[in-house]
Amino acid sequence: MTVRNLDREKCTGCGICVACCPMDVLRLDEGAGKAYVAYPKDCVACWGCESFCPVGAIDVSPERGRGELVSPY
Amino acid sequence: MSNLNELGTVITTDVLVLGAGGAGMCAALKAKESNIDVLVLDKCGTGWCGQVPIGGGILAYVHPENVEEWAERVTVQSGYFNNQDWALAFGGDMHKAVESLENMGITFLKKDGKTEILNWGPGIYVTLFDAPKSLVALKKTAQTRGVRMMDKIYAVDLLKNGDRVAGAVGLGLVDGKTYIFNAKAVVVAMGGCGYLHEKTYASCLGDGAAMGYRAGAQLVNAEFGSGYVWGVKALGKELFGIHFYLYLENARGEKIMGKHYPELMTGKHSVYTFDARVIDAMQKEVQAGLGPIYLNLTGLSDEEIAGLAEDQATELTHLMANDNLKLLREKAGVDISRERIEMLPRYLYSGGGMRIDTQCRTTLEGLWAAGASSSNSWSGGGGGQGGLGVASAAVTGFRAGESAGKYAGTANRYEIDYKEAKRVIERALAPMKRRGGIDPAEVTYRVHDAVVPMKYNRQREAGRMKEALGIVREARDKLAGAGAADFHDLARYHAAESMAMAAEFTYRSALMREESRAGHFREDSPQKDNKNWFKWITIQNKKGAPFLDTLPVPLKDYKFQP
Repeated sequence: MTVRNLDREKCTGCGICVACCPMDVLRLDEGAGKAYVAYPKDCVACWGCESFCPVGAIDVSPERGRGELVSPY
Repeated sequence: MSNLNELGTVITTDVLVLGAGGAGMCAALKAKESNIDVLVLDKCGTGWCGQVPIGGGILAYVHPENVEEWAERVTVQSGYFNNQDWALAFGGDMHKAVESLENMGITFLKKDGKTEILNWGPGIYVTLFDAPKSLVALKKTAQTRGVRMMDKIYAVDLLKNGDRVAGAVGLGLVDGKTYIFNAKAVVVAMGGCGYLHEKTYASCLGDGAAMGYRAGAQLVNAEFGSGYVWGVKALGKELFGIHFYLYLENARGEKIMGKHYPELMTGKHSVYTFDARVIDAMQKEVQAGLGPIYLNLTGLSDEEIAGLAEDQATELTHLMANDNLKLLREKAGVDISRERIEMLPRYLYSGGGMRIDTQCRTTLEGLWAAGASSSNSWSGGGGGQGGLGVASAAVTGFRAGESAGKYAGTANRYEIDYKEAKRVIERALAPMKRRGGIDPAEVTYRVHDAVVPMKYNRQREAGRMKEALGIVREARDKLAGAGAADFHDLARYHAAESMAMAAEFTYRSALMREESRAGHFREDSPQKDNKNWFKWITIQNKKGAPFLDTLPVPLKDYKFQP
């Protein structure tokens, strides 16, 4: 998992992380009013969610969900 | 329409814009000025889509009085290989684009109450804008002007009635519904193809060009624009900032740019993340056994390091995604004041897109393309200035929106053809009927093996390109064994298919072009060949197979002559 933490206490359910995730990894739990990690393995660690979260609830690690880095050389 | 409703939820509009990134939002806002119904949709959520919010916040700029000079320079640099009409249109619209974007709510860096134009090198001007909040601002303006927006819809294919595009099919990622959109005009603004490799461009999956191709639109320039950026290995991400290149060194601690490009070490230069000279130097050093390449910022203060970037402005939102140094400290645990940072060339994206005229019309009636889904040859396969991506998104977005809006104001509506919709939807949903063991991501990451290595994609050669094509085809064939449990999976499937298609088209065009020019270099044909190759390569779907053809550069019709 590359979204290594989504702090539900801090999350206000604003939905920005869900909106900015290009990989549809995050979804909003409408009932609880909180975001959750729905498809963790598809995260590519672009840092969009962590960067845009207004309350700092998300922590993304640099590793991708999968896919080894192919050497360009 | 009752039959259609059995196939999906039908939504009707005048102008349908696929993609709510920079190009899409500009197109939607402009189209709305024709007083028609405009609907924009995106796989993400409007306000946060595409590359603009996560990019560097740089917008290329050309002073209105310098447009001709700029276009002529671009033309000469391309060896007269570019589309001069587009070079003039692009340069000419840039000032207007900044004004329009400001009027639509985007915050630009100001000086004495005016938008500040920065000079970043000989003839290179840029403006800085608040990237993270830019599309939120456009969304707000779009809402007040009555543009309709739908989030979390993954567009998979266009719908035609006869030869005219009449709409599109989308997958509701959250609600699991199939949507059928009927429109008088469709604008595809879904970005280029980043292959999920370089993180800044993770949102561009090649779907726009792929669906245009399937519908019969002509693609062009697939062999150009394949680019590498230099980035931080531990983060898997490019390093923004125009002066960092001065501190690149090899394993022995020798400055590599001074060694290979001494002219860059004196005077002021802006060397972007995608600068081919840096990639060149890195590759040469590694080939000489002097790798890996490091960025050595030890001994510099935080202020000095901030000054190297020159694209950080305290008035604009500080975006952590671009603050690689912060990421290095916090995520990779690297102490940049004491340690060197290992750098790696990172494959960025493939070039090309749907061929468009100066109104952004594709070769298909009813279909427009904007931003990186389109290709207009303005630079003839070159480029080389930061902020051109955003400028291109804005200029093509505004032009597409204006043209599509006017068209929709007068054109008749073509209904969705039931049989066509059924065929397209059945194709799109087919993986839902399978429970295959193959994960589409495996296909995507296998495609990386074909597009990322420089031996395939930077120093091209027929034998090796055929090898790369083999990898792509093998990857694509695996898709037949992939199933999808829900629309999220299904979207991943279609993205994998689009990315494999982009890679195939890149190599097929590159194999056809038996010469070298612009970003296309072939070891087996290293010279420019104007006699045989002063033409653009197009790709079109003919009876289900890609047909490659050429289009001579219409130099005699252009303003600037050699």
